[in-house]
Amino acid sequence: MSQPPLDGIRVVDFCWAWAGPYGTLQMAHLGADVIRIESAKRLCPSRLIPPWPDNESGVNRAGYFNQYNQGKRSLTLDLKAPEAIDIAKTLVSKSDIVMNNFASGVMEKLGVGYDVLRRIKSDIIMVSLPGYGTSGPEKDFVSYGPPQVAQSGLSALTGYVGGPPMMAGFSYGDPNGGIHATFAVMAALLHREKTGQGQYIDLSQWEAAIMLLPEAVMDYSMNGTQPERMGNRDPHMAPHGVFRSKGDDRWVSLSVRDEAEWQRLCEVMGQPELSSDARFASLAARKENEAALEEIVTAWTQACTADEATQALQNAGIPAYPSLDAIDMIDNPHVGARDYFVELEHPEVGTRRHMGIPWTMSRTPCEIRRPAPCLGQDTDAVLTDIVGLSQDEIAALRERDVLT
Amino acid sequence: MPGALSGFRIIECGEMVSAAYASKLMADMGAEVIKIESPHGGDAARQRGPFPGGEPHAEKSGLYLFLNTNKRGITLDLEQPQSQEVFQRLVKDADLLIHNVHPKHMPTLGLDYDHLAAMNPGLVMTSITPFGLRGPHTEYEASDLTLWNAGGLCFLNGGGPGTDHLPPLKAFGQQSGFTAGVHAAVASLGALFARLRGGMGQHVEFSVQECLMGISEFGTMMAAYAGMAVTRLGHKPIQPLDLLECKDGWIFICCVEEHHWHSFVDLMDNPEWAAEPIFEDRLKRGESWDALKLLIQDWVKDFTVQDLYLKAQARRIPFAPVSTMGYLLNSEHLNARGFFVQLDHPEAGSLTYPGAPHICSETPWELRRPAPCLGQHNTEVYTELGMTAQDLATLQRAGTV
Repeated sequence: MSQPPLDGIRVVDFCWAWAGPYGTLQMAHLGADVIRIESAKRLCPSRLIPPWPDNESGVNRAGYFNQYNQGKRSLTLDLKAPEAIDIAKTLVSKSDIVMNNFASGVMEKLGVGYDVLRRIKSDIIMVSLPGYGTSGPEKDFVSYGPPQVAQSGLSALTGYVGGPPMMAGFSYGDPNGGIHATFAVMAALLHREKTGQGQYIDLSQWEAAIMLLPEAVMDYSMNGTQPERMGNRDPHMAPHGVFRSKGDDRWVSLSVRDEAEWQRLCEVMGQPELSSDARFASLAARKENEAALEEIVTAWTQACTADEATQALQNAGIPAYPSLDAIDMIDNPHVGARDYFVELEHPEVGTRRHMGIPWTMSRTPCEIRRPAPCLGQDTDAVLTDIVGLSQDEIAALRERDVLT
Repeated sequence: MPGALSGFRIIECGEMVSAAYASKLMADMGAEVIKIESPHGGDAARQRGPFPGGEPHAEKSGLYLFLNTNKRGITLDLEQPQSQEVFQRLVKDADLLIHNVHPKHMPTLGLDYDHLAAMNPGLVMTSITPFGLRGPHTEYEASDLTLWNAGGLCFLNGGGPGTDHLPPLKAFGQQSGFTAGVHAAVASLGALFARLRGGMGQHVEFSVQECLMGISEFGTMMAAYAGMAVTRLGHKPIQPLDLLECKDGWIFICCVEEHHWHSFVDLMDNPEWAAEPIFEDRLKRGESWDALKLLIQDWVKDFTVQDLYLKAQARRIPFAPVSTMGYLLNSEHLNARGFFVQLDHPEAGSLTYPGAPHICSETPWELRRPAPCLGQHNTEVYTELGMTAQDLATLQRAGTV
């Protein structure tokens, strides 16, 4: 048996931007036939933003789209046309999962809400993941991934000591909402396999982001307080941070988890006498004198490269890793040796490195079977093979501008 | 009504977050999860807190209480050779064994897939490891912080231009663990689905580093497509997309599309400066953000967060408050959806927990039971395995249980 787990499962992907497409990417990783519904009249924002090779824009040239839509197919449909809605319905009748991350109510307005689709395919699994969910007094509010970082409470908890609230550095709300939705879909799929029953899943990206912060929620629940912003520090470990190393804006992260590791750090830094220094003799003492401690660690890390520091610390069994940037990641010898990156020939951007699948399965291997689709690349194949239209019917629809 | 995953039996060997979060998500969907902890203090999450009144107590850690709802808990010292026979009996009837034991310790704890699959060919075993099970860094030690750096996420976050004296900044909490956990849960359910369709069990190997790289957004694509890196010191390409200070707190100002900006300008009563060519489109506003930020900040400062948030949303501009925990727990919207749940625990008492982020029409999630006290279900579970009270007492005397 060598087919991937979701071989034969079809996903109609109405998703948009990053959250939804990130979720359906995982289904493609698992082997599902994911068909993205797109339109040239309202392009996915991820087709419109840089980076592009040679800084030359193009809807099929965007790294963002090409990264997060690997393994999927693209069907172009103008959903404003009634005939396009009929096609979408026929497609759903031959599919297992429908996913969208439009604002609440958009699918219903288009005429493809759950109440309609379940009549077409009684065991369909449909998931909507708007920012606020599809119920509650703020259900019509609009949201994107970045606001979720603030709205979840993560911003208020993240920041340098004594500094203002901060973001996460990337649109964390998107992949988090997408992956939590995919988890719910997978559970629903197992349920359907056992019972034959489909269902509707209403996922709130806002709530999915709050799931990441139980320490703060529970602190409030217990004590009516929430943690102070503490930079890279940790209440139970010291030193614990990201320290400057040799080079231009190069950094190394490290965590000392217990007393034995502290003793070994002193050895690694060539200052064994520090381990008997009263200022640092216990976790409580190191927390008390953390600024002085961090100066001492920095004096050592600054004298070596991030790789050298990492090697020395790992040799002593202390968690450490360079703070990788994009170039470091793509050149990282470890993930390189693991064949994490995927390089498939794409008609417009050639062979480029894309991030792959973070798991391997011993019996049902998951692999990225094709690069991200060009806009509408699979329209004819999907309409012919799945929807069952003839060449003449397709030509007539194209003539009426339904397939753009 | 049964949960979506009821009938699935899961064994978890989890420390801290990743494996525990994965199996919590499944337990909340109805799976029967048995969590194995060391009899010598249990899961390290028990020591993390937060604690009521700040007083450490192994049964009152907020992180542990959240991560282990709906599970039964037993103690078993997997480091003792005599525990292996018991462990194998547990695994024999399981559908999934999920763990985040470091690869260095897997062999001594009996986490050997081939050996376990010989007894239970249907077993899915998911190994959540910092760097996977092969490759030069496999044996590296890791923490949540070092993984956030190894995945390229930390380097993206900081104070923007002119803040190179400050280090890359982690996001609050145990983000590497949570993100890895939910992804590993998806992969595990994929393997269970394959088995349901007539397949056998299998070993799922999961790398936290690769998982985190995968959510780095522009991450490696900047290197692969433009030969450059994104840093926390650069300007954001699109603005406004930033945190500003109101009179009673912070708000996230967000104009992703041009129509958001036009609506926002209108909300500000069309100030003259908004028509300046340097603020003409979202990319130009990105380049001119230093100047624009001052102008907008000056306008924002007289509002309360709620007032500005509601005014913006009324015009469909996606602003968001910088929520405090108090704001979230009192949110009319979240409470109308039933997101927070009150749950009673024998030691920690009645507390409010985050529930689940989804509402499923046919298979509701449920907090059926609070997190287990250390070894709370020993008698129950070991009796189910066919052990007598005497057997259990013998294991207890040996410190195995």
